[in-house]
Amino acid sequence: MSGKETSKKTMAVSKKEIKKQKVLIIWSAIFVIYGFVFYYLPLGGWVMAFQNYKNKTGFLHSKWIGLTKFKFLFSDATFLRVIRNTFCMGTLNLIFTTVVAIAFAVLLNEIKHNWIKKPIQTVSYLPHFLSWIIVTGILNDALSSYGIVNELLVKFGLTDSSVPFFSIPALFWPIVTFAHLWKETGWNTIIYLSAITAIDPTLYEAGSIDGAGRWQKIKHITLPGLRPTIIVLLIMNLGNLLNAGFEVQYLLGNGLVKSVSDTIDIYVLTWGISQNDYSLGTAAGIFKSVVSIAIILIANSIAKRHGEDRLF
Amino acid sequence: MKRKTVQRLLSLGLSMVLAVAMLAGCGNTAQTAAPAAADDAAAPAAAADAGEADAGDTEVASGDIVDFTFFAGMPGTEINSGNNEIQDIIAQKTGVRLKETWLTGQTVAEAIGSIIASGTYPDLIDGGDGCVDLYNEGVLVAWDDYLASGKYPNLTNYYTPEEWDQFRMDDGKIYWCNVFQNTKGEPTGTAHNDEAFWVQARVLEWDNYPEIKTLDQYFDLLERYAAANPKTQDANGNEMDVIPYTCLCDDWRYFCIENAPQFLDGYPNDGSVIVDFDNKAPTIVDYNTTPTAKKYFQKLNDEYAKGIVDKDFGTQKYDDYIQKLSNGNVLGMCDQYWDFQQVNDALRTSGLEDLGCNFVPLGLTIEEGMENRWHTYGDTLNVASGIAVTTSCSDPDLAFSFLNAMLDQEIHNLRFWGVEGVDYLVDDDGLFYRTDEIRKNISDPKYRADHLCFYSYLPQYGGTSDDGINANMPEEQPSEFFNGLAAPMQKCFTAYGAKTYPDLIGSVKEDVNATHPWFPMWSYSNNLDTSTEGGVAWTKMGETKHEWLPKVVMSSNFESEWEKYMKAYEECKPEDFLAEMQEELDRRVAAKSGN
Amino acid sequence: MEKIVYKKSHKMPKAGDVIFHICNGLFMLLFCVVTLYPVLNTLAISFNDGVDAMRGGVHLIPRIFTTQNYTTVLALKNITQGAIISVLRTVLGTAFALAANALLAFIISQKKFVFRSQLSLFWVITMYVNGGMVPIMILYKNLHLTNSFWVYVIPGMVSGFNVLVMRTYMDGLPESLQEAAQIDGAGYMTIFLKVITPLCKPIYATVALFVAVFQWNSWFDTMLYNRMADQYTTLQYELMKMLSAVTALKGNTGAATTGQTVNITPVSIRAAATILTMAPIVMLYPFLQRYFVTGMTIGGVKE
Repeated sequence: MSGKETSKKTMAVSKKEIKKQKVLIIWSAIFVIYGFVFYYLPLGGWVMAFQNYKNKTGFLHSKWIGLTKFKFLFSDATFLRVIRNTFCMGTLNLIFTTVVAIAFAVLLNEIKHNWIKKPIQTVSYLPHFLSWIIVTGILNDALSSYGIVNELLVKFGLTDSSVPFFSIPALFWPIVTFAHLWKETGWNTIIYLSAITAIDPTLYEAGSIDGAGRWQKIKHITLPGLRPTIIVLLIMNLGNLLNAGFEVQYLLGNGLVKSVSDTIDIYVLTWGISQNDYSLGTAAGIFKSVVSIAIILIANSIAKRHGEDRLF
Repeated sequence: MKRKTVQRLLSLGLSMVLAVAMLAGCGNTAQTAAPAAADDAAAPAAAADAGEADAGDTEVASGDIVDFTFFAGMPGTEINSGNNEIQDIIAQKTGVRLKETWLTGQTVAEAIGSIIASGTYPDLIDGGDGCVDLYNEGVLVAWDDYLASGKYPNLTNYYTPEEWDQFRMDDGKIYWCNVFQNTKGEPTGTAHNDEAFWVQARVLEWDNYPEIKTLDQYFDLLERYAAANPKTQDANGNEMDVIPYTCLCDDWRYFCIENAPQFLDGYPNDGSVIVDFDNKAPTIVDYNTTPTAKKYFQKLNDEYAKGIVDKDFGTQKYDDYIQKLSNGNVLGMCDQYWDFQQVNDALRTSGLEDLGCNFVPLGLTIEEGMENRWHTYGDTLNVASGIAVTTSCSDPDLAFSFLNAMLDQEIHNLRFWGVEGVDYLVDDDGLFYRTDEIRKNISDPKYRADHLCFYSYLPQYGGTSDDGINANMPEEQPSEFFNGLAAPMQKCFTAYGAKTYPDLIGSVKEDVNATHPWFPMWSYSNNLDTSTEGGVAWTKMGETKHEWLPKVVMSSNFESEWEKYMKAYEECKPEDFLAEMQEELDRRVAAKSGN
Repeated sequence: MEKIVYKKSHKMPKAGDVIFHICNGLFMLLFCVVTLYPVLNTLAISFNDGVDAMRGGVHLIPRIFTTQNYTTVLALKNITQGAIISVLRTVLGTAFALAANALLAFIISQKKFVFRSQLSLFWVITMYVNGGMVPIMILYKNLHLTNSFWVYVIPGMVSGFNVLVMRTYMDGLPESLQEAAQIDGAGYMTIFLKVITPLCKPIYATVALFVAVFQWNSWFDTMLYNRMADQYTTLQYELMKMLSAVTALKGNTGAATTGQTVNITPVSIRAAATILTMAPIVMLYPFLQRYFVTGMTIGGVKE
């Protein structure tokens, strides 16, 4: 970690510096206390996973049961299935939202007329502001048997009768991915667009002089220019891979597609809250956190080894 | 510059507040805009409400009225709490106004689970399937001392001591009391609050009121009717397609698809199993794997392929389902009456009831000539859940006196009949009756919200009232029941020579408590949790059925899909569950014969 | 706000270019249609008679016009209260979060700060671990944040991601400004308020919007922590309840006069509620939109 050397250096000059930085240190302390209470203190709840926790007995008097809950988890076919679901949906979302957002940013950047570009941008951000409740509601209506999608499918003779989209397990993941694309593509573009504007325009001019075509400029100037942004965002989102599965699946899922729609978070809700097995719910939560941290550390160190920008 | 942004944000926010407030102001003048800001919901916020004072002698000064909160582990219709006339009258008489919160957007288990986890409880609660969890948490008040105190005679006498004993938990105390199926006086027997295959009255009329006894005849009728009448009218008079048969699979309501096989085989609603005692000791039988079950799902599969079964049945939400039934274009379905009862009000308000869109129950069996037990005669005591007082309640004495008062005939009449002279009239013989206009009022949602206050999950009686003349519930008053039916329904009842719903179903007339002393087995299985192997199996079986049954119905190859389903089903180890049920059955049989 | 103006080449457009622009234009058109249609369709349905809408075929223009869906939704018992709380939580939540995130980002952006890397790591970790729903509930309960308005504002005040975005932006500011101020004897707080903050307008706007959108759209916290406290209900939670049980709420409308409720269906109510919930934030965002492109960048560290 590069911080070590720098902090050593600052330590050397510290005394006077620290006095000067008093106000920063006080504020930092406040933030650390706040962060400790709201983010780190609940981690203490992880001991639940090793207890047979009951509200009545609390942390102090609940029975210790070691790894029993973890053993149950990893022998439970349902849990293994929700891991698969979470992981697959997370990956699909990550890949598609990233690729489509980059592509969209690049294409949008090719439009040179602001009076065309601006309205498109405005429209593209819109869905981001809608809550998942609304988006899933809209999706439900659009894909229902009397919805617009089926209407078009039937009209163009692609199917004889309406497709029951939400009853077909194989379609659930694509629907979730599409929902994410619909909601977030425009918004995700913002970050890439501002990265593109940060690319030195003289590079493009030089490219033009060298006779580079549109695609070559995109390939050799724009995309490399986006590289640091893409990598940092990728590392960050990789850490969220297992976090990306609650609301949509909770709102869109139904009995028929349960086997592909349930995610780790829903599993935690079902066991932790509905079945009152806090210990099992917490064990599943720990698994998720540990895997997330592992993924992000690995991704970060790979980036570091290849000399790329990275998160920390 | 930052300040500017913040200012802009603030002013925008403020103007939004104003705009919203104005909009809402136009919409509703008598808004309870500022509820008591007490942090603890249990704190008796003495909201002095300027409701019109009703002249009664036991009146409570409006300043002394205590607001209690109540959570029901069931979806329900909210009334305009704080602005409801009968609620106010009851509050004046009892000193308590109960604010009901219903289950929304979650399963009951999730709701009770998060209430427990958050540690904030209402004063009164009906936790449904979650009652045991609340008991385990130690947050319910034991009833024993209150019942023994003699201060609440209505409650004490609500059940016999033996019946109360059945409510005792493993610590020997009583924590809740079920409020349904408790008959006072004589049962009037007009209602069938349970499951049946239902069909619109006009379908029967179209075929000159045929005898429909089997599943095949039922679907044959639906097919013929739909072929002859593919279109129908909606409430606006526009044409729309009929949906010959729909089936609800939403969440816990998937019972609509899964439990018919037990009835089709002629057994009563034990809920989770069949109890076979034909020439042998009572034995648990799994209705999910019987030949009848297979035949039934095969039939649904055939009908789905023919386009008779609603395409969206597998994914429709309860709301959509109720809306479809209210639209009048669904010809038939299998459901519990209480689950779709509200549709009758909608059909009345829209006038579709005059077209014969109300549903008539049929007691179907798989073969002709079998007995059916869709309707059971005799009260079913469900000790698994009921109304409970929590330890958060600031004044349990008041809570119990309130519950006690609910059973006073005067208040009971107020709850279910309404205000005399307004919601019902009394003839010279003391018989309560309603006019068409009153009935129309009563079925209007707005009127119900502002005026009526059933407190439907508090103690109540069926049967007849203390006066010996009237029924406790309007819909159980024989004269009122029949006069309250729409003309096409009356015609249908007359055609079949029926006076009541049970007459139409034609179930075996026997006191189920005498013939099936263990009945109902679901009061045990409902409270199973994952701490036992049988409970784990039961949970998994439920999930498997919920997922597979719609698939089986929609499959283009029934046999192979059924096989796959059966394989998935076997993996849940149903034998663990069945063994546990058998144990409970033996226990119940022994307990009864011991008495 | 576009800072970069590309030099336009004044050569004749090539055929390939023309084809590209046509394809690109068509693609953008399709994109806009796919994005806008569902929203406009919802708008149309929200103004259409409910029973009629169930027949399908309502696209962009209502077939039987009515405002009844709106009067019904607006008259629902908790809607006003929910709207007030939603606005309050959005305004207060955004203000608090903005102040806290900006200050923290500023501290972390101070290259000379002794605990810089430790503080940074401390907050990066919070982005990826959490104690889980149940311990958090127990914590909130003990802090008396349940059945309270403050549960909307305090717990989510600082977010690692927002701090990261702000820090990146601050890192990009020329250091000379701050150094000059320091030479003039300005303390850190003065620098933060007088030097950095004015320069960070775009990123503040961006983060404010992030937080505001999050606050406005949240419903799960209401359900978990304020279920029994009607006075702290939010618009989104009421919307959620409505979506799951329109039939149950039907009776609860003050506006619908006798007999009218018949033509209100789950679909029409949903549409009206959707439009109502979405309207404020959609009206707000054009004000902030111009900051987006300049504001949002994210950077990592590189040796």
